[in-house]
This record gives sequence, structure tokens and C-alpha cells, in this order.
Amino acid sequence: MRTPRHIWTSVIMIVLACLVALPFYYIVVNTFKTQAETASEPFALPTHLYLQNYANVLQNTTIVQSFFNTLYVTAISIVLMLVIGSMAAFGRIVGKGRISAIIGVVLVIAFLVPGQATLVPLYRMLVGVHLVDSLNGLIVLYSTGSIFCYYLILGYMRTVPAEILEAARIDGAGPFRIYATIVLPLIRPILITVGVFQTMWVWNDFIYPNVFISSPQNETLVLQVYTAVGQFLTDWPSFMTLTVIVLIPMVVFFVVMQRHIVSGLVQGSTKG
Amino acid sequence: MLRTPTAWTRCKGLSLLATRPTWTRLRESAVSNIFLVPIAVVFVVLYAAPMGQSFFYSFTNFDGYSNDVKNVGFLNYQNIFSDPTMLAALGYTVFYALTTTVLITVFAIPLALIINRKFFGRNFVRAIFFFPAIPSVAILGLIWGFILNPLGDGVLNTVIHALTGLGPIPWLADTTLAQLSTVAVAVWTLTGWHAILYLAYLQSIPSDFLEAVRIDGANRWQTFRYIILPLLTPAMTVSWLLLMTNGLKVYDLPITLTKGGPGYATTTITQALIQDGIAQAQVGQASALAVLFLLIVGIVVLAQLGLSRMLEGRYS
Repeated sequence: MRTPRHIWTSVIMIVLACLVALPFYYIVVNTFKTQAETASEPFALPTHLYLQNYANVLQNTTIVQSFFNTLYVTAISIVLMLVIGSMAAFGRIVGKGRISAIIGVVLVIAFLVPGQATLVPLYRMLVGVHLVDSLNGLIVLYSTGSIFCYYLILGYMRTVPAEILEAARIDGAGPFRIYATIVLPLIRPILITVGVFQTMWVWNDFIYPNVFISSPQNETLVLQVYTAVGQFLTDWPSFMTLTVIVLIPMVVFFVVMQRHIVSGLVQGSTKG
Repeated sequence: MLRTPTAWTRCKGLSLLATRPTWTRLRESAVSNIFLVPIAVVFVVLYAAPMGQSFFYSFTNFDGYSNDVKNVGFLNYQNIFSDPTMLAALGYTVFYALTTTVLITVFAIPLALIINRKFFGRNFVRAIFFFPAIPSVAILGLIWGFILNPLGDGVLNTVIHALTGLGPIPWLADTTLAQLSTVAVAVWTLTGWHAILYLAYLQSIPSDFLEAVRIDGANRWQTFRYIILPLLTPAMTVSWLLLMTNGLKVYDLPITLTKGGPGYATTTITQALIQDGIAQAQVGQASALAVLFLLIVGIVVLAQLGLSRMLEGRYS
């Protein structure tokens, strides 16, 4: 009895999903074709396994360098913002003093400030300390993300029973030991969720690399794809190949982390 | 004599508990403030100091180099409202934020309702709709740039030509079409993401509750209008807040798709700010735009929070 509607939903939704995925199909399928094939049969499957585009991209671009640049910036930034954010959340939980309260209020304001409003002064500041066109300069900029981390971690930490911390304190553990050996393991789930969410931000970010990075050896993957538009002006299959290679880490990340991405989305939106 | 660590700590803990002098508490509070130092540094160096500078320079003619900085009052702010480029950027950014918010909401809620049902291939459908939110928007913009290419070799034009015989449509070269194209691509990237957000709220509605409503004789539309929609208002306010603030901050998509053109048709506030403040070093002018932008975003956030309080108060 329930079959007809159920089947129609399936058919319609799968067709719609395929339409949504069509741009991805289009670029992937064309990376295995010559330029002439791409122009004449844009949607057809490749007639044979043609890998010249991949060889071309790997030889003629600094994509490997860009990959390691992006990995370096993302890894350091995420660790940094998780440490700063979780320390601050812990400090707010244990510290009941006036300073702690003031910082709490101040961070609410900071949370509302869009990055664009501070972009020009930050640029001038980084020029002053020679951190423009530098990967470490990007890491400094991404450490602003620690405020978002602080919020989500604080919300999660409030659910940790105060008795656990109290018991540790009575047992003679100092605040640093409590933070490192008790709090950090306890808040692991939220650290993963926030870490996954912020990884997507840093890895995918375009505005900071585009404004702050100028030399090719310091490019991130996203910036490299953007600057490659000029390089591959007429060679579309090569450009699409570069795009596909850059998309691969994100696809793997999506498949492995899908659950955490969704839970981050839900928690980030309810608390953010 | 060997003592086990547990016995030792227990001893120490007991003695602490018995006679805890006030200075221990004071010291603990001071130590706990050490944990706040890193975030305080982040705030002062990366938020407060630049904000202060933006505010200060917005009333000056500072050009980034000369020491001859003069107070020009509100001149920079007046310039924004008399400069056609700036007005175009403000207009397009607001248009983009509003249309993406409306369209994504209109598509995401029905999508969430459908992918909440059981059907064959549901997980596949969910994953595919969600996926465009995962890669960098900048890269998606470049991909769509190829698809929408105004020349005859853009694949969408090729398909349209093959099906209908129409000549190339200037998706990204015509003012109105370029503006609509950027919005359409944004809808494509974000609808699934927001549908998953709504889905999370839908799943928290107990199914026997909906069953009871149905038994009471409510039809599909009534169930949606009077039961589901009110229960979705918290999700809606969150989704709108994200869409509006991110829409106002937009930069990646128009610049990778159209480079802000044709002319200034798809130039955003952020792009104008970067051009003025960094490329042309008109720091005073860019700072005024930054302060104005901060105010607009602040007003939108406060209005949204007020609206969500009102709606939640009305429905609960």
C-alpha cells in the first residue's frame, strides 16, 4: 500500500540529486579527455583512459608545494585555536573573579565583529611585522577562530559535572594538571567537532590567502586554483584536472568526517 | 618508605580540605586567569586594536604612508553615499544577502521535509545535496565559471543550443543575469546544508506527536502550517542569521565567478573594501566602509535576535 508514493519520492529525489551533482560529474569526466573531446562531447564518458592532463598538472604547477602549505597552515591553526579556545573556556569555568566576567562579555562582542571590518588594519599590522606573504602570517590571522572554539567548548564544558573538577582539586591536582589530564580528555568530542568545522574554514578559505599571499611558493591550494585560471586560460581540461585534484582531499574528508560535520553544523548553529 | 600515589594525594587532599586558607583560593583564581591570557591577547591584538584603528582612521584622510593625517570629520562616510561604485557594492551585497536568504529557505524547508521521510536512496540523496557545502566556495565559483561561460563554449550554453537552438546566453556578462547567476550558484551550494540544519530540528519532533495530530484529522498542509512550521522557527532564525550575515560578508563567490563584473554589477562591500584599503591604500575611506559594514552586520544580528525572541515567545 505504501509503495507508490515511496517509489515516486525515490525516483524524483535521486534524479534531482544527480542534477545537483552534475557540475562535479562534468569536471571529473573531462579531466580524462583531450581538449578537442571536451569541446565536442562535454558530457560523454571518456573513450579511453587519457591521463595526460594529470601528468601535465603535476609537472607544470606547484600543487604539491601548495598542498603542504595548506596542510601546515591548517594543522598549526587548528591546534592553536583549540588550545586557546579550550584554555579560555576552562579559565571561565574555574575562575569566578571579575576579570573572568569581563573577558566573557568582551568575547561576545568580538564574536559579532566580521573579519572584514578589521581586514585593512590587520594587513597594515602584518606588513609592520613582516608577516605578509607568509604562512605564519596566515596562522596568526586564523587564530581569530579561537573565539568561535571558545564558545562551543564553553557550552560543552558546562555539561561536565563540577564534582569531577572539585574532586581532582581536593586530590591536590593544580589547575594546569586538571586542564591537561582531566578536562581535555573529557571534552574530546567537542574538540573533534569544532576541529572538523574549523578545518573546513581554514582549508577552504580564500579571502585571507588572496589578500595576504603574493608569491607562488606560499600559495594555498584554493589560491593556486584561482591564480591558475590565468595560467590555463585556454587549456580547460588541465584547469579542471587541477580543480579535481584539489577537491580530492575535501571528498575524503567529507566521507570520513560526515557525521562530525553534521554534528558541528547543528551545534555550531544552535550555540553560535 | 614507599607510599602509593593515591595514598599520598589523598593525605594531601584531606589536609587541604581541613585548613584551606583564603590565599589558596586567591591564588587559584589568579592561576585560573592565566588560562584567559591567550584569548585576551588574541582579542586585543586581532580585534580591539584593529577595530580602534578602523574607527580612528575613518575620520581622517590617512593614505597609508604620509604622516600628514588630518581630521576630515564625516567626509569619508559622505563619500560612500555619493560614490556610485560604493553604492553599487552596497546595493548588490544587500540584494545578494536577501535573495539568497529567501530562496535557500524556500528550497531548504521542503527538502528537509522530504529527506526526513523514509525512501530508497535517502542517504545518497542527503549526501549529494549536502556535498556542495564542503569544498571551497572559491573553487565552486571557478567551476561554475566554466559552466556559465558567456562564450559559445560554456557547457550550459552548448546544452541550451543543442536543445533549443538558442544562441549563447550572456550568463556572466549581462548585469542582471550575472547578479542572478551568482545568487543561483549560492543557492546550489548552500540549500543542502541548510536543509540538514532544518532536518536536525525536524528529527527532534516526536513522531507519535505528529501521528496524534494526523489522527485528530489534520491534513498534510494543516500539519505543516500549524505544527511543523512553528516548531521550525528556532531553526529558521538560526538559518536566517547565518544566511544574512554570511551574505553580507560574501566575497569568494562573486569574485571567482565574475570578478565583480560586468562593470561593478557584482562587486561586494568586501571587495570594495579590499580594493580601497589595500590595493589603493585609501585607508581613511576603507575604514569608513569597514565601520559602516560593522554597523550593518551588527544591526542585522540584533534585529534577528529580536525577531527570534519574538517568534519563539509567540509560538511557545
